[in-house]
Amino acid sequence: MATEDARYRLSSQYRLWSFSPSQLASMREKSNALARASISQRLSSPGYHPPAASSLSTSSLNLSAPTSSTNTPDPEAHPSGTPSGPPPLPEFLTPAEELVVVTFYTSELLRAADHAQFSDEIKATSAAFFRRFYVTNSIMTYPPQEMLIVALFFGCKAEGAFMRITDFIKTFGREHPEEILAGEFLLCQGIRFAFDVKHPFRALRGAMMELRRMGIPGEELDKVERRAKEILRFSPLITDAYFHYTPSQIMLAAMSLADRGMAEKLITHTFHHTTSKNTDGDGGDTPGNGGTNGGNTGNARGRNMEETIGAQIRDKVLGAIESCREMLAKEMPERREHWTNKQVFKAHVQPIRKKLNKCKDPDRWNLVELQRARREQALKRADSEEREDGGGGTGTIDDDGAVFGDVAPQRDPKRRKVVAKGLEDPFGGPL
Amino acid sequence: MPPKSSSFGAGARAGTSSSGGGLPALSSDDMCPVCKTIRYLNKDMEFLIHPDCYHSMCSNCVNRLFNDGPNQCPYAGCHKTLRRKGFRAPFFGDLSVEREVDIRRRVAAVFNQVEDDFETLLDYNNYLQMVEDLTFELVHGTDQKRQQAEAQLQAWEAEHKADIERNRRAGREADDLQRRRIAAERDAARQRRIEAIKEAEEEKRERVRSREAELDSMQTGEAGGGGGGGQRVQLKRRGQVNKNTADAAANMIQDKNAAAAAGADGLGVGRLSIRGLKEKKRPPPPEGPYDPFGGLDFIPSRYTLEPKGTLNHPALDHWRLDQGHITGGYSFDEYISRAMFDAFAGLGVFIEDEKELGGQTGLSAGQVATIGGGIGAVGDKMELDAS
Repeated sequence: MATEDARYRLSSQYRLWSFSPSQLASMREKSNALARASISQRLSSPGYHPPAASSLSTSSLNLSAPTSSTNTPDPEAHPSGTPSGPPPLPEFLTPAEELVVVTFYTSELLRAADHAQFSDEIKATSAAFFRRFYVTNSIMTYPPQEMLIVALFFGCKAEGAFMRITDFIKTFGREHPEEILAGEFLLCQGIRFAFDVKHPFRALRGAMMELRRMGIPGEELDKVERRAKEILRFSPLITDAYFHYTPSQIMLAAMSLADRGMAEKLITHTFHHTTSKNTDGDGGDTPGNGGTNGGNTGNARGRNMEETIGAQIRDKVLGAIESCREMLAKEMPERREHWTNKQVFKAHVQPIRKKLNKCKDPDRWNLVELQRARREQALKRADSEEREDGGGGTGTIDDDGAVFGDVAPQRDPKRRKVVAKGLEDPFGGPL
Repeated sequence: MPPKSSSFGAGARAGTSSSGGGLPALSSDDMCPVCKTIRYLNKDMEFLIHPDCYHSMCSNCVNRLFNDGPNQCPYAGCHKTLRRKGFRAPFFGDLSVEREVDIRRRVAAVFNQVEDDFETLLDYNNYLQMVEDLTFELVHGTDQKRQQAEAQLQAWEAEHKADIERNRRAGREADDLQRRRIAAERDAARQRRIEAIKEAEEEKRERVRSREAELDSMQTGEAGGGGGGGQRVQLKRRGQVNKNTADAAANMIQDKNAAAAAGADGLGVGRLSIRGLKEKKRPPPPEGPYDPFGGLDFIPSRYTLEPKGTLNHPALDHWRLDQGHITGGYSFDEYISRAMFDAFAGLGVFIEDEKELGGQTGLSAGQVATIGGGIGAVGDKMELDAS
């Protein structure tokens, strides 16, 4: 096995955030289903009333329902003939619709990053964070408009550009730093603390170096590199390429979109080993002496070479790159305008957004309120008060218990934590 | 092969007594049974025996009889062919004891299992019993039994040659260790003694010096204060010295304890408590030096960085002139190797295939989703803890 592959397999990108298409789809379905269950549970719970419809009489409402009216379902949206009981459940987004919204907001994120003039790495990292976050969290649970800014802010940090939060909010026209900071830890949890995202940008440089050494004229290469970079800046970020392919495959796919012959030349040059030919003869890419695991006999070494840079694996790599190329071709850089286009927005995104406004999670949508509620709850817990007065946060926890199958009402938070977290799972078991 | 038990010690004695005739009891120490020389005539007479038959004779006889090569034992009825080389001075006066010791030594060299080789104490005890029975038969048994025992012994030796050799080596190593430990202890003791002497001398010198200082200070006039100061200084120094000696003593005790513990360990090998003969454990293969990367190979297999300077990118040229990069010791080779690694790492990783297989590397989609769902929800609590 190639040493480079072995090293790549150790990265968190491979271990935690690489999935086959079917896996990714089933995960999205699952988080969609979870969100549906929890939101419908919350909307129909007796403690919840749309704040606009009922007066803010109890303290619990203050906590559970965000004060800003934009954060709650519009009561007018429900059929007027509803009885006074719990309002009927809104129509939820399907996983496919969610994906459209996520893609739309990803393009928004890239636009925002362009506006703030961030580097390619920051853009790409933020976009990857954003998309990863919404794999395991539904877009109905947390507000994408907010998470996008949070992802940008944290992407800056992850790439080593430490902006002041005050400068940052000025850039994006926000008023309070809390709006961004509230979601920061949430994002970190959502991306499972995998802060290192591997990008194909440097890989493109490396490939260009190799091609240059092969003696391909510089002007030609510059042209290919420019185009490939343009593609890399947009296409893989807005698609699921980062989940399904490794950076080098993405890079080669982008290169093949720019110049198919060039990419194939590099691949055939790299995987040049043939069983009949003496591989060392042409002094190609193989390291000269026993580079592969110290295979002593020529036979073992040959087999090793065959596995690493042989014709069979070459065909497989070509296949992977071809499928990646297809994926990228769906979102070429020229489609940047597609997502900002008013008509497209109205036709495809706006209806879903309207739907989203009705079915969003009442407890989680406002990140600042959510964090404040959690803080207060923590304080309450610290004072070891009776939790009968029932803040919104308390409601949240209990609802979670009911939603995620932990039905037994366990009032003791510590015991609850032990039961819920389980021992085998460092991230905590499902609630 | 030892001779018949009846034929050697008793025979020698019978020889002397018969040849001595009426002379007042001449012990075998005083007269050579072969040449009848008596000690009176030769003060330096030395008796030698041969471990084949244990017939003693004086060194002159040995030289005379065996200098020209192998010869028959001069004792009547003993037909052993002896060589000059095998003769030695007996350690014990009683030759039957000498013989038994020789036999025991030989048996012990063959049956050299130690307690640790056995699984239970009972097994080891049984083994010891067997060895003792065999030894007894070799020493005191009848002719036939002795031969039988001898045959057994040889068979065992031939069969377990490797084991015997290994045990012998282990025993020797343990002995070596013990010897070295003792030597080290002795060294340490000597060191301590030298230090103690040095300290005593130092103290004496110190006393003299402080006394001189005192006298000097008295001379210069400030008699009372100076004297007191000197006294104090001396007292203080003495206190220090006392403390030092206390420390040294403590160290010594510690050393001794450690040595004792080590000694106990050493003795533990030979202690009499055992288990049955264990399955031979193969010594684990040598692990080699510690590898912090867990066996990762950093030699690239798809590309080569050699020869240096062949890989370059025009975008780098600008940075090669950049003061901030050059003065910082930034290595462009490092960047190039990283870029090349990025370009080729994971080319052969086919996520779709590998993750579908699941198994060793990936979680299943369902698991991940549950975990993800868990995180979102667990977030409540974790954040609470943090705040």
